[in-house]
Amino acid sequence: MEYFLFLVSSGLVMGATYGLVGMGFAIIYKATGIVNFAQGELLMLTAYIAFSIATSLSLSLIPLMIITIPIAMVIGIVLERVFIRPMLGEPLFSIVMVTIGLAVILRGVTIMIWGPDPHEFPTGLSSEVVHIGPVPFYQVQLYGLGTLAVLTAAAWAFFRFTRLGIAMRAVAANEGAAMLMGIEVSRIHMIAWAFAAAVAALAGILFASMFKLGPTIWFEGLRSFPAVILGGLDSVLGAALGGLIVGLIENLAQGYLGQGLREIAGFVVIVVILMLRPYGLFGAREIERV
Amino acid sequence: MRTGHYKETYGELIALSDSNVVWSWVAALGVFVVILPFLVGNYTLSLAISILIAIVGAIGLNLLTGTTGLISIGQSGFLAIGAYANALLATDYGWPVWASLPAAGIVAGAISLLVGIPSLRLKGLYLAITTLAFSFIVNYVILYAEPITHGPNGIFLNDTKVFGLDLSTDRGLYYFVLGVTVLVTLASLNILRSRIGRAWLAIRDHDIAARVMGIDLVRYKLLAFAVSSFFVGIAGGLMSLQIRFINIDVFGFLLSIEALAIIILGGFGSIAGTIMGAVFLTLLPEAIRISLGLFVDPGSSAYTKYVYEIRGIAYGIVIVVFLRFKPDGLIGLWRDVRKYFANWPLAY
Amino acid sequence: MKQTLRMTLLALGAALVLPGMAAAEPGVTDTEIRIGDVNIMTGPASFIGQAVAVGSKVAAAEINAAGGINGRKIVIKTEDDGYVPSRSFQALKKLLEVDDIFALNGTSGTANVLAMMPLITKANLPTVVTTAPNELVYTPVRPSVFTIGASYEASFYAQLKYIHENLAPKGAVYGLIRQDDDFGVAVENGYARAIKEFGLKDGIRLRYKKGQADFAAEAVQMKAAGVQVLANGAIIAQAANVLKETRKLGMDLQVADVWSEIMPPSAKLLVPAGYSYLIGDYISSMSDPAAVKFMAKAKPYMTDADVAAVNRYTFITYAGLKVLAKAMEACGKDLTRACTVDNLRKIKNFDTEGLTAPVSFDNERQLGGTAIKVYQINLADQTFKTLTDYKEY
Repeated sequence: MEYFLFLVSSGLVMGATYGLVGMGFAIIYKATGIVNFAQGELLMLTAYIAFSIATSLSLSLIPLMIITIPIAMVIGIVLERVFIRPMLGEPLFSIVMVTIGLAVILRGVTIMIWGPDPHEFPTGLSSEVVHIGPVPFYQVQLYGLGTLAVLTAAAWAFFRFTRLGIAMRAVAANEGAAMLMGIEVSRIHMIAWAFAAAVAALAGILFASMFKLGPTIWFEGLRSFPAVILGGLDSVLGAALGGLIVGLIENLAQGYLGQGLREIAGFVVIVVILMLRPYGLFGAREIERV
Repeated sequence: MRTGHYKETYGELIALSDSNVVWSWVAALGVFVVILPFLVGNYTLSLAISILIAIVGAIGLNLLTGTTGLISIGQSGFLAIGAYANALLATDYGWPVWASLPAAGIVAGAISLLVGIPSLRLKGLYLAITTLAFSFIVNYVILYAEPITHGPNGIFLNDTKVFGLDLSTDRGLYYFVLGVTVLVTLASLNILRSRIGRAWLAIRDHDIAARVMGIDLVRYKLLAFAVSSFFVGIAGGLMSLQIRFINIDVFGFLLSIEALAIIILGGFGSIAGTIMGAVFLTLLPEAIRISLGLFVDPGSSAYTKYVYEIRGIAYGIVIVVFLRFKPDGLIGLWRDVRKYFANWPLAY
Repeated sequence: MKQTLRMTLLALGAALVLPGMAAAEPGVTDTEIRIGDVNIMTGPASFIGQAVAVGSKVAAAEINAAGGINGRKIVIKTEDDGYVPSRSFQALKKLLEVDDIFALNGTSGTANVLAMMPLITKANLPTVVTTAPNELVYTPVRPSVFTIGASYEASFYAQLKYIHENLAPKGAVYGLIRQDDDFGVAVENGYARAIKEFGLKDGIRLRYKKGQADFAAEAVQMKAAGVQVLANGAIIAQAANVLKETRKLGMDLQVADVWSEIMPPSAKLLVPAGYSYLIGDYISSMSDPAAVKFMAKAKPYMTDADVAAVNRYTFITYAGLKVLAKAMEACGKDLTRACTVDNLRKIKNFDTEGLTAPVSFDNERQLGGTAIKVYQINLADQTFKTLTDYKEY
């Protein structure tokens, strides 16, 4: 039983990071219809920026998050204006390829500025182990779970109750109609990127605190794909839930089946889910029969 | 505008080109390509071989993504399958190259049907992500199926001879790869001009309308996957012949990105564009290295530390710039230039 | 400016015009000898390549300051391969065809060396492999390839032997986690050898994929198997993450690590987990007297950035170039590749100034410097204490 609980707890922790990254994907897809392949690199860039801030100002986790969020938002806005906005009107796939190109650029720039060495991410949190029942957690892992919960609740409230959130949902449903209703669609796109960058910053800080900062953490973007596919590309809440589920599946697969299955468990999940429910668990279903 | 050109026989109708000028330029290109080994050194020749292999692979991808509109970013998986199939058949089973190479293509094509089946239900980005997942799964299977694939140890290829060409020399390998590339190019040009190619174009433009017009989507989509992966598998086999030692590290995710970049750069659905894109992108790192070398002293540590990062960034910038300013790719650029000169001094 | 222009024109000319090289020995002129270096200069593993570059530079500078080799100065030509084997192949091709090197000193990782083998054997290129001492490199033995270094197998066997004889309780359960590639296979071989020879309890053997960050499930499996001694075949950040997870579960472990964890940036990552881990290495640690002496002697040739980049890879590359230089020197004025290879075969008990055990290539596998020292980290100041001196395993 303890074995199972350990696996579940570590699955949830890992799933929280997947969920956070996935939410970033979902926000951009929801508002603009494109998959941002540079989300992982955004995560890496904002994590490194936070690292520089943390080492020069010696902040602890929460203040660091609070300071990094506006910086990340600015970065998101700049990227959207420079790379994505000029592509208005181009086919969807071209814009997606631009994000792939953007990913390559961000990766190179990050390594050029900060170098290739891995670093310990300074969070100011103690490395004491906290026990919830029989299950041990590091403090930062609990923060990760907490951040996911808070963000999920905030996202739900945002999309349900605020004008901006409803405007985003309108843009996601039908851009033309939204424009006719007086919603400034280009501004919504910009805001979506800003939010996605902020979420990526949070995910990056938490991930680096848990697993060391290094020039390969951009791969988390790709590894979070199963989460966002499972939840449905355009469902932010689905991405969070999908992240937790994928984290659980990975850890349970490794614990009970072994043999490095953890790595591809997620990708197998993608293939299976897409065969059965092509739009994910919570994605909007587009009816098409052929 | 040309007038007075009448096609009087069926042969003239389906010829690749009816213009003598075009054919003479093609002949000139052919002569240049054949005497290239006598003009340049071995290093440049190996670059040329890499370009040709990139052309074969990118043509395969172009048939799938450019012509049929089925987005695939899992090409590295098929390259790996082709390379491993060729290497295993050649070393473990002793097949000669002229048998193992097509077999590599067939194996890749057959396995691609596995990926093709999800494609019948999935569209656009979801399909792209499925192919991505597939390439990771292929990597995993190759690594863990040790009895068959040598697992993490990799495979060494022995020196081989085919049709009297010694493939361990640059010159022999160059001519062999050149021959394969010419065959692949002609094959794809012909497929594109046939009913299969037209069906693929229809599927790309609007697959439901294509179905309404009676095109069997299942058949043509699976055919697109199979043919495309056949060519990509052959490209993988050629890669294994060139670098003579393959293991899983060679086939990273970045290869898929490079293949996509080539067809975006070249222009979707155009074979000539693919060739231009492959030449441009394979020579790009060399060009950057040489141009950087003019400004920065190659001995300095700053140079060696940053040159690769800069090359990577330049790669991304090229992709973004072309997508933004020339979405039709190099072939679009070429057509614009040609039209400009053809109509000069008039505007149109 | 003029220099770079001349070099560029030379490179372009050589690349485009000359199909066959002149009859003279490649890489040797009356005034210089060109030694090639295929290195991981960029990407996440570039701490290896940067260190190797410093080692080559210092060795070449010292040799040149002492008059060079029979009056010829050594010039190092570096090419980056970013740890990708196909790029290593292209890089070596360029070094051979365009930069015209005489011998090869830096060779990047295992898969990279293997990718370059066809070119090396064809050109009979004298090659000293110091950063990839994997069995695959010297089995089968290639005539012009000389390897310095113990295998990962020997390193882990040595550490587990020490733990078994001195640190672990009787009947302790042993566990292994290793990467799923050829390097991981070598680690597992060392582990298996120790298990068999000492009759140890084999609790669990785990594999993980390169690039994995989260080891929570693996740690849970280890705890369930009751592991008390861990052969940690993960490297750098991943090694740190493994130990972090086991510490979270409250596991008390003796840990045997890969020698990459002797490097200061890596040790810094592992210290927070609080395990006094062991290392088995064929190279001296940074706190050894031999290393201290090296740093003092090399100071005039290094920039501040170089000093920061120094780690074990610097020492071993330095030693490699010194061995190569000795073999080249014995050829006198008539320096050829064949002569160098012959002399390398005769090298016996070459003193690498204490940076490794004395190196001898006069054996069938052309393998030297395989004696291993076992170290343990001192968590307080991140230095390494020597537990056993150089010994063959």
